[in-house]
Order: sequence, then structure tokens, then C-alpha cells
Amino acid sequence: MARIQFKHITKTYAGGAPAVDTLNLEIKDREFLVLLGPSGCGKSTTLNMIAGLEDPTSGELWFDDLDVTYLPPHKRDVAMVFQSYALYPHKNVYENIAFGLRMRKVANDEIERRVRDAARKLEIEHLLERKPGQLSGGQRQRVALGRAMVREPAVFLMDEPLSNLDAALRVSMRAEIKHLHAAMGTTFVYVTHDQAEALTLADRIVVMQNGVVQQIGTPDEIYERPANIFVASFLGSPPINYLHGKLKQNGDHVSFVNDNVRFALDASTIARIGSRPEKVVLGIRPEDVQITTAGGNVIEGLVDSVLPVGSDRFLGLKINGSDFFIRVGKEARFAEGERIAFSPVPERVHVFDGDSGKNIAGAS
Amino acid sequence: MATSSSTARRNRAIGQNLRAAGLALASIVFLIYVLAPVSWLISSSLQQEAALTSVPPQWVPEEPHLDNFRAIFSAGEEEKVTYETRREADTASGGFIPSTAKNLLPAMGNSFIVSIAVVILNLIVAVPAAYAIAKIRFYGRSASIYGILITRVIPDIALIVPFFLFIRNLGLLDTLTSLVITYLAVTVPFSVFILVSYFEQLPDELDKAARVDGCSRIQTMTKVFLPLAAPSLVALSLFAFLTSWNEFLLALMFTQTAASQTLPIIVASFTSDFTISFSFINAAGVLAIIPPVILAIVFQRYIVSGMTAGAVKG
Repeated sequence: MARIQFKHITKTYAGGAPAVDTLNLEIKDREFLVLLGPSGCGKSTTLNMIAGLEDPTSGELWFDDLDVTYLPPHKRDVAMVFQSYALYPHKNVYENIAFGLRMRKVANDEIERRVRDAARKLEIEHLLERKPGQLSGGQRQRVALGRAMVREPAVFLMDEPLSNLDAALRVSMRAEIKHLHAAMGTTFVYVTHDQAEALTLADRIVVMQNGVVQQIGTPDEIYERPANIFVASFLGSPPINYLHGKLKQNGDHVSFVNDNVRFALDASTIARIGSRPEKVVLGIRPEDVQITTAGGNVIEGLVDSVLPVGSDRFLGLKINGSDFFIRVGKEARFAEGERIAFSPVPERVHVFDGDSGKNIAGAS
Repeated sequence: MATSSSTARRNRAIGQNLRAAGLALASIVFLIYVLAPVSWLISSSLQQEAALTSVPPQWVPEEPHLDNFRAIFSAGEEEKVTYETRREADTASGGFIPSTAKNLLPAMGNSFIVSIAVVILNLIVAVPAAYAIAKIRFYGRSASIYGILITRVIPDIALIVPFFLFIRNLGLLDTLTSLVITYLAVTVPFSVFILVSYFEQLPDELDKAARVDGCSRIQTMTKVFLPLAAPSLVALSLFAFLTSWNEFLLALMFTQTAASQTLPIIVASFTSDFTISFSFINAAGVLAIIPPVILAIVFQRYIVSGMTAGAVKG
């Protein structure tokens, strides 16, 4: 159990731009926090600094009321699960799990109890005598989890722990990790580049790019009110669609206009809009549209591809030469080359500044 | 269709047989090339001096005898070799012993002490150095790697004079310590280099995992990296041992008396006597190759895996 505070933390590697730039972040006790971003965004560096594996260049890091900025990893109460599992190849599963406890001089019978307990929970009791080389990827992953669990740490760190697993196993392990968090009642910090994983697991998500925090919020906040175009693009699959144009005032009404689209914004969106930049970008998620034939606010496009995903069906459209994805019901039948019309759900469109990319209708 | 596929199969079978035969032939040629000098060494150490020069050579001695070995092991109470005793001995048939023969066993002892000391100090120095270079990012890291590499491309003979001045000023001439110091300078860079490339192949996450699990840097090295590096450690220990065991040039410079002379120096001295007994020199050669051969046989499993290190993933 620990509250983690980053105070103006910057990490710069020799001769490079900052990997993490002036990070201010408070991770609450028992929170499940996910650091999300593309590779090289600074999320793993952030995690390594919590573990003590890397020292910040400047700033302070606190666990509760303890300044741990330069405390070496073995003196911090943290456990970590790695993407490559990093099991000790020369030790069997039992000794791999027990190693952290042995290093901390825990009594033998207590080690035995905790290892057996963790092995039972993770269903790897029958593997305790094996060496890591004899295990499958999923089994190694469980051993790595067990090694961190038995430590009963104040902070539980995970660096893309599911990336090396196949798709089906990844989904089931997500559920197990969520249970683990509930059962352990400790602070979890989880690094991933997989937005679905982040949305599933997190209490709060921190989206990072080039070492800078783009947005901190609950999964809903991040998805429904992305702070900027980068965040909006990073979450959602297929990704959000964009239309470039201008805002036009007409009495109380504000419309988005470009060469072939005219779309009236709804009152709640207008109310949230702060600044009025010259150029804007309208963001529309594939699921936030309805197929129509008539009425206002209609956008037309040519069906370029039909993409069934089982539960749903996506259409890849061409609108003025650019791609646009929408979700339609799985029963809907469309042929390639067909001309269709749809209208975005007015209260669910996002309006971004065309230059800075900031969401100008962000605050709710 | 059927015939053409069976023809193809037959052709493939012939090809495989030819390949196997070719490989076997090449192996035999290589074995002969490697083993012939050793066989001749052993065989000639058991022959009379006259038989040694006979044509055709006797690969299996017709009158084998152990006089040379007896002379080496009874060197303590050997009869005094003087000009007279030498004259009595028939130079054509051999049967005489070089005047420095009694130094052979002590020299072997010296060689052993020096080699073992070099191996142990190599491990003590090279392991932490290699771990630090491979896994810790510090200023001057690549400079130290290049520094180590550069010392490996300088031929030993270029260092003889500086080494000599260094050893003389330390007052260490004619001591085993001088040999240990200079052999370390020659072998440690190579050991570090082997270990760095091995440690670099072990994932960084293994290092991180150990440290998060509660190991200090030293403990990470001793509890995780050392056990994994065992094959490499054996390989580099053997290398250090053999280098020290065989080294001639530096030993020739720094040793003057039997107190510190090593095996190669003593064996070489057998050729600088009044007369040369090749069968005796070969007997000394047989003794000289026994320790390395024993080591190689005991650790052969590790030598191969040490050379191909890095395959130990996950």
C-alpha cells in the first residue's frame, strides 16, 4: 500500500531529448493506474523510476511520506512483472518464485507457505519443479506473476506483461490481473501500448507521448472527452475519423462546414466550446453514427470495404478520397461501391483545434 | 510421375551418402593432421636416440624404454653430469641427460602455481568488470571497451621493454609474481571481452528482475549472472591457464634461476647443452602436455558450450 507522487520529474538520457519531461503525477493508494502510449513515449522509463531501476535527472519521487528519488530498487518495497518474464533460467519455478523472499531473509516455512499459496492461486502447482525453459509462454507469465505476488509489495509494477501472449490468452489474463488487483489491495502501475488493455484494467489512465503527459483520467473520460487529437486517435479500434473544416455561426447555431459536409453542432457541445479557432477538426468515432436516408446533418460516402468482425460490421468509406470508418449492425448488408448516407450522433462528436489539436469542447 | 519421383529419391540418397563419405574423409584427414605430431611426441619419448633418426621412422618404438622419464623423476639423486660422464655416453644412442634436467619438476610446479594464480585473479577481475560494462550505463563505458580491445591488438613483444622496466623497478625480477602480473595484463582483456559479449546477450530485464527482487548489484552478479555464465567461465579459465602454461617470451625475460623458471624455459634450455637429446626433450614435452589435456578432457562439455555461449534464452 502506497501513494506515489512524481514531483517535476524529468529524465534525460545522455545526448537526447527528455524521455520523461516534467512529470507531475499522484498515484493513489490501491489504485490501478495504466501508463498508455506508443513505444518511446516514456511510459517504461516512468515505471523504471518507480522501481528505482533508473534515477530521475531532476525532480522528486515520493512513496507516501518517504522520499525515494535515489533509493536503490532492493530497498524499495516494489515488485515487477516484465514483458519477457525475465525468469531465472537456472532456477526451477519454486526457486524463481521464492527468490525475492530469500533475498529478504524470510523464514523458510513462510516462504514455503507463500509459494504454495501463490502457485495454487495461479494453478501452477504441478510446475514447481520445472525449469523456465520447459514452460509455455502462458505458464512463464504465471510464474512471473507469482514471483511478484509472494512478495506482497507496496507497489506492484507491470511492464507490458501480456504483450508476448497470444490474443485469446491475453484476454483471459486481463481478467485474472483485475482479480489479482482486487485480491491484493495494493497499488498497481501497469504499462501498455494496447488501448483495449488500458480501458479494461485501469482505474485511471495516463496517456503519454514523447515524454509528456497528454491526459490523465478514467477510461470513460479519456475515451469520451479526449484532450487532443493524439489521445482521440490512440484509443478506439478502428480509430476515430476526422473531417477538416471551419465553424460557422448562424444566430444561436454553430455549424461545422467544409466543401461537402455541413453539420450542425448540438447545444451541449456549443456550450462546452471555449475558444473559436479558424480551422477545426471534427472527430467522429465509428460507432457514433446512424445510417439515414434523409434529413439534415447527413454525410455521404462510397462503400470501399466491408469489414465484419463477428459481433459487428464495419464499413470503410471513401469521403472525398479519404478513409472513414463507421460501425453498422451485423445484419446490415452493403455492397462495395454503394453510395450511402449517415449522420453522426450530434452530442458525441468531438471538436479539435485544427492547429494545436486540442479538444476545444473538452471540459464538460 | 512415379518413376521420376523415385529417381529423384535415389539421387537424393546417393547425394547424402556421398556427402557423408566426404565428411568422414575430411574428418580423418583433419584427425591425422592434428594427432600425428602428438603421436610422434609420445612415441619418440620412448625411443632410443638412434631409433629416433632412423629411416623410415618408427611410429611404434621397436625397443621402448622409460629411461627419459626415470631420469626426470629421479632427478634429485641423479648421477652428476660432467664432461667425463657425457663422454662415456654414446651420443648416437643417447642415454645422456641434460644438466638442467633436475629443474624440470620444480619448473612444472612453478608453471602450475603461476597458471592457477592467473586463472583465479582473472575471474576475480574479469567478472565484475564484464558485468559492469555489459549491464551498467556509466560514463566512459564505450571508452573502456575500446581500451580493452586495443590492448588485445598490441603484440606482446611490443610490451616487453615497458614490462621489463616496470618489473625491475618493482624489484620483482626472477619471481613468480612478475609472471602473474604480466600474464594478467595479457589475459584479462580477453576474459573481459568474452564475458561482456556473453553478459550482453542475457536480457537486461533479468538484471532488473534480480534487483527488484532484492539483490544489490554485487548480489545480482553473483546470484544470477555467475551461475548462468558457468560455461563461459570454464572456457576463459582454460584459456588463461593455457596461455600462462605455454608462455615463453615474458618468462624468458623475467626469470633467471630455477626459483622462478617455468616449464617452457627449462625445456628450451635442454637444447642449449653440449649435446642435445631429442628423446629426452620429447619426454619433457609429454609431461608438459598432460595437465592441459586432463583439463580439456574434464571440461570438454563446457568448452563447446562456452564457445557457443548466448543460446541460453529464457
